Amino acid sequence: MGELEADKHVRYIMEVEKRKDDFEYVVTEHLRINGAYWGLTTIDILGKLDVADKEEVVSWVMKCQHESGGFGGNIGHDPHLVTTLNAVQILALFDSINVLDIDKVSNYIVGLQNEDGSFSGDIWGEIDTRFSYVAICCISLLRCLDKINVEKAVNYIVSCKNLDGGFGCIPGAESHAGQIFCCVGALAITGCLHHVDKDLLGWWLCERQVKSGGLNGRPEKLPDVCYSWWVLSSLTMIDRVHWIDKEKLLRFILDCQDKENGGISDRPDDAVDVFHTYFGVAGLSLLEYPKLKAIDPAYALPVDVVNRIFFK
Amino acid sequence: MEEVSQADPSHLLQYLDSILDSDPFINEVGFIHPSQFLALNEEAAAPVSEELSAANSSDMVFWHRDHKLGISTQYLVPLYKAAKCAFMAAVGRYNDSNLSAESGEKNVSSLQDLCAVQVMKRSRALLLLTSDFGTAWNYRKLMILREPHVSTYMDELGFSKLVLSYSPKSECAWSHRRWVIKKISGNCLNLQEIVENESDLVKLIAEKSKMNYRAWNHRCWLVSYMSSEQVKHEITSSRVWAGLNVADNSCFHYRSRLMLRMLEGLRTKQGSKAVSSDNAEYYKIYKEELDWNETLIKRYIGREALWLYRRFLSLFWVDQFAIVDADALAHINQTPISTGEIKTFLDNEVQLFYSCQGYSNNDFEDYQAQATFSATYMLWITRHFSQYAGFELIMKLRLRDLQEVLDKYCPERSFLWDFLRTP
Ligand SMILES: [Zn+2]
Repeated sequence: MGELEADKHVRYIMEVEKRKDDFEYVVTEHLRINGAYWGLTTIDILGKLDVADKEEVVSWVMKCQHESGGFGGNIGHDPHLVTTLNAVQILALFDSINVLDIDKVSNYIVGLQNEDGSFSGDIWGEIDTRFSYVAICCISLLRCLDKINVEKAVNYIVSCKNLDGGFGCIPGAESHAGQIFCCVGALAITGCLHHVDKDLLGWWLCERQVKSGGLNGRPEKLPDVCYSWWVLSSLTMIDRVHWIDKEKLLRFILDCQDKENGGISDRPDDAVDVFHTYFGVAGLSLLEYPKLKAIDPAYALPVDVVNRIFFK
Repeated sequence: MEEVSQADPSHLLQYLDSILDSDPFINEVGFIHPSQFLALNEEAAAPVSEELSAANSSDMVFWHRDHKLGISTQYLVPLYKAAKCAFMAAVGRYNDSNLSAESGEKNVSSLQDLCAVQVMKRSRALLLLTSDFGTAWNYRKLMILREPHVSTYMDELGFSKLVLSYSPKSECAWSHRRWVIKKISGNCLNLQEIVENESDLVKLIAEKSKMNYRAWNHRCWLVSYMSSEQVKHEITSSRVWAGLNVADNSCFHYRSRLMLRMLEGLRTKQGSKAVSSDNAEYYKIYKEELDWNETLIKRYIGREALWLYRRFLSLFWVDQFAIVDADALAHINQTPISTGEIKTFLDNEVQLFYSCQGYSNNDFEDYQAQATFSATYMLWITRHFSQYAGFELIMKLRLRDLQEVLDKYCPERSFLWDFLRTP
């Protein structure tokens, strides 16, 4: 079995920024802050965050802030809860949350909670349990969870639980590993995991492991490295990781590396991207692969970064 | 090709705009590799239209025929850059015109209108190149709200459908549709018709884009806007599609959503007046669903989605019909399933389990999968039915067989067995 090509992955991530004429890069500029969060967190898990220019990153992130307090995906783009969390996560990585006007950002989040406890992603009103997670995670990192109505937020998430033990994006929506991560993560942060039927959900989650050892996100789908994160972090939070074959999953992730140029893909021999590089490395961290920083399964940040915020 | 690559990208954008303006009925957009252009032209039986046959080099950037538009992958980057630049500039001018209006300048409203038209035009080109550019969708919403007419909203449904033709998973495009529908749902006479069209659109897109979570999620969202007649109609009319797409878990989830919605409907109705004929009809639909699922399981070997749907149906049955609480009973006016019925049901499931073991010596993956799914399904039954009288009796002798199958086909799931046995 091959090893993790840590140095090559760091180099791959640092060079992505230079591929400015690549179509994929160009058309995802509205999501740049999202990509930056993935890339930088990966580098931090690999213990190499110092290769990034802190000043440059922090000042760019702050330029993505909108007058409403929320952050857009890039300079000049409209704010959204998801990109606001990404901004706060990046600042947390660099121990720079103090550059924020906490009231302003938290008020933006508070303003997006609806009467039924759900959260809209932005002022245009789309509702999704993903946005519940993002809001709860973000406002908790800002250490003012009590500014939102936690009880209602939790009730809304619980109303999205399905008979299979999983969660969907709104009440009645299909269970999906990504949504499950969001709902379980939000319940973990708010100390409400007792709402989860751990055996039932653990069962559904462990059935995501297919013959090759990889995990899929829904029944009948192909395995994909990104679910090494969504499924595995959920299993970790509900204490059921031992229900999957960890060794096989580890091998699947390592098989998805581009051993020459760095980066990790969704499946062996596919094209690599930053997104899957993050999920692969984060998954390996949860599997306690040697020499990787431990990652927090709910906040999706290295444990030392989270501790720095809460035990300062 | 040479000439174009050196041409000003803003000309490319103008050309794209002119195609879009000239043909309001374009219904499909796609990105085409240069090598495919030739094939597309040869394929076309009818003589090629002038704009294509002309040796004009820009013909190689766009392919436009029968209301279909192809864009060369080679020019996507310069096109995108020009489109984004033009959009941002239009937004800037619009915001400036707003500032002038606010500061009390006169005669700016016509200027604002002009700017708004530009924002709509620029966002159109941009979103046909990159479907999840949220800011562009947001500005469209903002422009529509300036003069919200039903026809404008309907145009938006058309436009986002066009975006979905090249990007069927676009979250922003689906979300935009929901925004439109929420806006018009309050004062719209033909909401039922719109909901029906939406449902058909998902069906159409799901045909080409399999297991598309975003699309099916949209259809599930629609259910809360459906009348009870529509819900019933959807259950019947979407059955054929599901039968042909047995690996698509989303379509079975959709059916479970419809079943639950029907029940919700019954419950609200019964809040005022008991209608037992509705209950009977409901029970009949449910039974048909269960039988149909069994037929599919036997026809399509080893399909996970079918077995998971059966888990839902069995749990749903025992949850909804086997109510022993007298209060709940009086409230919903319904007789609980008898112990006899539970026994019949369990007998049937046990038989189904054994019928899936018949080919256990077969090495084919599908057959192994079938054996595994039937075994984990029986575990499910064990977990959810064990409190019912008669369960022990029926299952007692079978549990050892079940364990054998589990040990053989999915030893890695042995913990499931363990946790089920230790209550
Ligand atoms: Zn993936």
